[in-house]
Order: sequence, then structure tokens, then C-alpha cells
Amino acid sequence: MSKRLTHLAAAATIALAASGAGHAQEPITVGVQVPTTGSEATYGVDMKNAIQIAVDEINADGGLLGRQVEILVGDSACDPQQSVNAASKLASADVAGVVGGYCSGATLPTLKTYGDANIPFVITAANSTKLIPANPGNAFMINSTGYDQVRKAVDFFKSQGAKTLAIVDQGDAYSQDLANLTAKEWKKAGLEVTVQETVSKGEQSFSSLVTKIRSEGADAVFWTAYYADGGLLIRQLRQGGYQGIIAVGDGSNSPKLFEIAGRAADGVYCFSNPIAEFLPEAKQFIESYGNKYKGRSPGPYSTLSYDGMKLLGWAIEKAGSTDPDAVIDALASADGEAWLTGPISFTDKNTLARSNFIILKGEQGGWTLHSK
Amino acid sequence: MSLTDILIQQLVNGLVLGSFYALVALGYTMIFGVIKLLNFAHGDIYMVGAFVGFGALSLVSGTIGAGWMGIFVAMFVAMIAVGFLGVVIEQVAYRPMLSAPRLSILITALAVSLVLQNAALALTDGQVTAFRTDLGFGGVSLGAVFVNYTQIVLVASAIVLMIGLELFVSRTMYGKAMRAVSLDKDMCRLMGINVQRVIAVTFFAGSALAAAAGVMAGVQYGRIWYFMGFLIGLKAFTAAVIGGIGSITGAMLGGLILGLLEAFATQIPHIGGEWKDVFTFGVLILVLVFKPTGLLGKSEVERM
Repeated sequence: MSKRLTHLAAAATIALAASGAGHAQEPITVGVQVPTTGSEATYGVDMKNAIQIAVDEINADGGLLGRQVEILVGDSACDPQQSVNAASKLASADVAGVVGGYCSGATLPTLKTYGDANIPFVITAANSTKLIPANPGNAFMINSTGYDQVRKAVDFFKSQGAKTLAIVDQGDAYSQDLANLTAKEWKKAGLEVTVQETVSKGEQSFSSLVTKIRSEGADAVFWTAYYADGGLLIRQLRQGGYQGIIAVGDGSNSPKLFEIAGRAADGVYCFSNPIAEFLPEAKQFIESYGNKYKGRSPGPYSTLSYDGMKLLGWAIEKAGSTDPDAVIDALASADGEAWLTGPISFTDKNTLARSNFIILKGEQGGWTLHSK
Repeated sequence: MSLTDILIQQLVNGLVLGSFYALVALGYTMIFGVIKLLNFAHGDIYMVGAFVGFGALSLVSGTIGAGWMGIFVAMFVAMIAVGFLGVVIEQVAYRPMLSAPRLSILITALAVSLVLQNAALALTDGQVTAFRTDLGFGGVSLGAVFVNYTQIVLVASAIVLMIGLELFVSRTMYGKAMRAVSLDKDMCRLMGINVQRVIAVTFFAGSALAAAAGVMAGVQYGRIWYFMGFLIGLKAFTAAVIGGIGSITGAMLGGLILGLLEAFATQIPHIGGEWKDVFTFGVLILVLVFKPTGLLGKSEVERM
């Protein structure tokens, strides 16, 4: 009897060991949802690269739970339909979690996809406040939300002595949300919004809008959408003789803005999430990025994306498995875990518990830190 | 700004925009004139023109700079190269379809559009390319009205090109042949006119004009990308229809009307720029309902 039991136990141990060994060879797949094509592809590829660097570091340290990590990219193209396709692809590939999410408009519908599949989702860039009520509980936003940016923007325009404001957005969830919230806060302060306008994406000519802004009068213009069209608006504002303050939201903090806007971008302000080159902690990261991706600079969302991957890795280790519920619980329990962008902890709505916005100013074809 | 200033400024904005539309609309209308094809690839030809111009400017900017000199050289190169591209597209994609039902050739045109767009997407990785020049932001101020030098030169170049085209069509043998082919292809053939060559020349001229507009757009807006031809293609088509498709003067007029409509629509109180495309395409519908031949188009008796 006892002999048989021992045999059984031995067999079980061997089976367990075998299955354990099998697991050790099978890598953990992490989904990466970023736009790798379309007008926002620059940011998306930067984010993917940053996540790959984080994964390389994790793998060099022995992986997660003793397993190697690999990424699977879903191209959201900054488009709601394409991003849902990308999300379905990642969900059906049985990923242990998803990192990424750029363009709030394209991220919003994927919340449901990942929510239904119960996949932990670390959102590293998208920060529209519309994402907050739509979050089924599995998503965690590690970028400061639109509310933090609105407060920063309104305070800044007031400090510059602006009384009238023109706000231009692109009609997507992110930029419209930021525009509406800013308009609301601005009016609450007893000040006037003279022009609030939505332009269509890919629009080339803003000259008639510029004339409208000049004729209605605005001490400052706030562009809340992305750099590709933002550079164009800045250029045409200056071409059209507008001389007031111009500020752009965090969707426009790419250096590419300067290529498109040219000299017109000098003196433009930008409310930005923490960019690698302004973070002393990110020195090593910038170096490895430059070594691995020759000729590219990390871009604005790469530090957050790197942190997002590290955070997911930390949560999987803490949960001790890739069981979604355990990983989600572990993510929610983050208490000041810090990599490049500062301590990460979450509110009860899974948003970052602090504001991380800084103000940049365009000088000689690049951003410089204006104030923290 | 006083109301007069606003109106004058928007008039200027409308003229600049309208001259882009007109240049692209001309190609639509000429091609429709000779082979009755709505060449939906035309907007993408404009896009290719912008990229060829960008490449040419990068090449010559080292020696002659990226000022007006370099830009005109780049524009010339783009017009020639894209003109030939237009001819190649015609020979490869449209010529074998000329006797097929009109719907087949229309679908071929859509396919050509997608081919060009996706080739550009693949080559540029879908990224926006910055079109850098040495031009500044200086201009002329007339009271509160401000006109940029770049805008003045671009509108002037567009006018020169349009006058050139008008002279070509009205004064040269090929122009005469082109008009004849648009009236009656079979009769032309019987009269010994090389119809195939006339069609090729038409594609060359139309594509070259679109390329010029593409380079101008790059210069004016500083940014080019694979999808830039889509909206302008639709709008130029609208301009051509408003003016009367098949009519060259109509295309110019339609382009200007459309540009002005968009500019003034932005200024309408409480409605704003979000609605300008609604105005644009609303006008298209109205024209189609009330004057299907367009402002300057002649009604054509369908021969059975």
C-alpha cells in the first residue's frame, strides 16, 4: 500500500515537474495595442519600442514566473474600428495582459473588448476622462487624466494674462473632451471663450478658421488634438498674422510638430506628460533606446509605456500567476511602485493618483522645459 | 477686424483654397471630356505629385536651396514625372477598358486609386512627411487683412498654369484635337486624328496639373501624407460638377466657388467650420438636382 502511494506520489511529482518544465518553455505573451500606421504612427512605434526594451530587460532578469515574455502587436491605427479589430486579435491570442492604448477615441471601444475577455489592460497614453466611466475595472490608466491637464492649462493661460480663449479640437474623444472641459473651467473663472471649433482630421487648410479667430479676438489659442494637424494650425496661425499665445495639449508634444510647423512653433507652449529627456531617471533608458533603435528618439509616451510594461510584469510576479483576476487585483494594489515616471498608485477609479503634467516651450526647433 | 476686413480676408482664403481645387478639378474635367471617365485616382495623382516634388526638392535643395527657385524646379520635375505616370496609368489600366461598359472602367479607376494610396502607405509607413522649405512667414498687411507672400506666389502660379492650359486647348493642334475627341471619337478617327495619342496627352496634362497642385499644397501646408489626396479628390470632383463636368472654364469657376463657399461658411455665426463640408457637398446635391449639367456644362443628347 505505502509502496503504491510512494509510486503514485513519485509519478505525480514527475508529471508536475514535466508540466512545470513545459510551462517554463512556453513564453508569456503580452499584447501591445498602439497605432503603427496612420497619422499617429510615430508615437505608436515609439511606444512599442519602449515596451520591447522593458521586455528585454525583464527577460534578461529571468522573465516572469520563470517564463520568457514576448509581445504581440495589434495596430490600432488611432481609429476606433481598427482598434477594435486589433483588440479582438489580441484577446483571441490569449494574452496575459495588454499594454498601450494611444488615442482615447480608439482606446475607448477596446475597453469593452478587453473587459469582456477579462484581460488586464495597462493604458499608458490615452487619458480622456471619457475612459473613466467606461472602464469595466480591468483597465488601469498610468497617464494623468484630462482633468489634470485642464487645471494646468487654465492656470497657465490665466497666469499669462489671457482673458479670451479660442479652443480648437478634432472631434475625437480625447481632444473634444479636453476642449469641452477647458471651456467649462474657463467660463467658470468668469472668462470668455470666443471661438470653440472642431476641425476634421486630415484637413489641410485652416486659413478661414485663422481669420475667424483673428476677427473674434482671442488672447490665446489652445489646440487640444494631435501634432500632425496641430503643426499645420500653428503654421497657418502665424502665416495668417495671429500674434497671441498658442498652446497645445499633450497629444502634440512630438518633435515632429517642429518639422511641420517650422519656425512658427517657436514660442508655442505645450502641456505634456513626462517626457524622457526631461526626466533624470530616464537617462539609462534613452541610452538603451538609442542603441537599439538607431536614429530614433524615444518620443513622448515611451517612458510611460516602459513603466506600463514594468508595472504589468510586477503585477504578474506579485499575483504569482497569469490568472487575470489575480493580476488585476495586484495592479490595483500598486502602492507607489516607481520606474521612470514617478510613483504609481491608483484611485478607486483606476486612474493615476497624482498629476504628472509639465509645461514645455518651443525654442529653436525643439521643446525645452518651461515649468514643472 | 471690421466686417469688411473679415470678408476681404475670407475672400483671399477662399481664392487660395479655390485655386488648389481648380487645378485638381481641371484634370477631372479634361479626362472626363475625352473618355467620359470619372478618374477617381486623380486625388491620389495629386498626392504622388506632392511626394515626387518633395523628393525633387530634397535633391536640389543642396545646390539651389529650398527657396522659390528650388520649389519651381521641384514642381517642374513633379509635373513631368507625374504627367508620365498619368500616361502609364491610362495605357495600363484604362485603355484596355475603353470599350467595356462604363461601370467597369469606373471600378478600375477606384482600384488605381487604392493601388497608389496603399503604395504610398507602404513606402512612408503611414507617417506624415514634413515638407520643409526656406520660405518665411512674411506677407502684406492691408489694414487688418493679411496676405502671406507664399499664398500670393501660389495663386499666381495657379493662374499662370490655368492660362497656359487654356492657351494649349484653344490655340494648339493638340488642343483642337482634344476638343474634337471630346465631341466625337469615331469621327475623329475617320478624320485621321490619332485619338489614342490625344487621350495620352490629356492624361499627361491633367496629371501634371494635379502634381503642381500637390507640390503647392506641400509648400503651403508643410506636410504631406498618403491620404492627402482623398478629400481634395472628392472636393475637386465636386468643383468639376458644379462648374459643369467636361468644361475647362467650368472647372476653374467651380474650384473658386467651392473655395469661397468653404471660407465663408466658416465665418457664419453659431455654426462654424464643422459645417463647411456639409455646405460643400450640400451645394453638390443642389447643383445635381437643379442643374445637373453644372453652371457652364452643356446638356448632351444621349445618342442611341
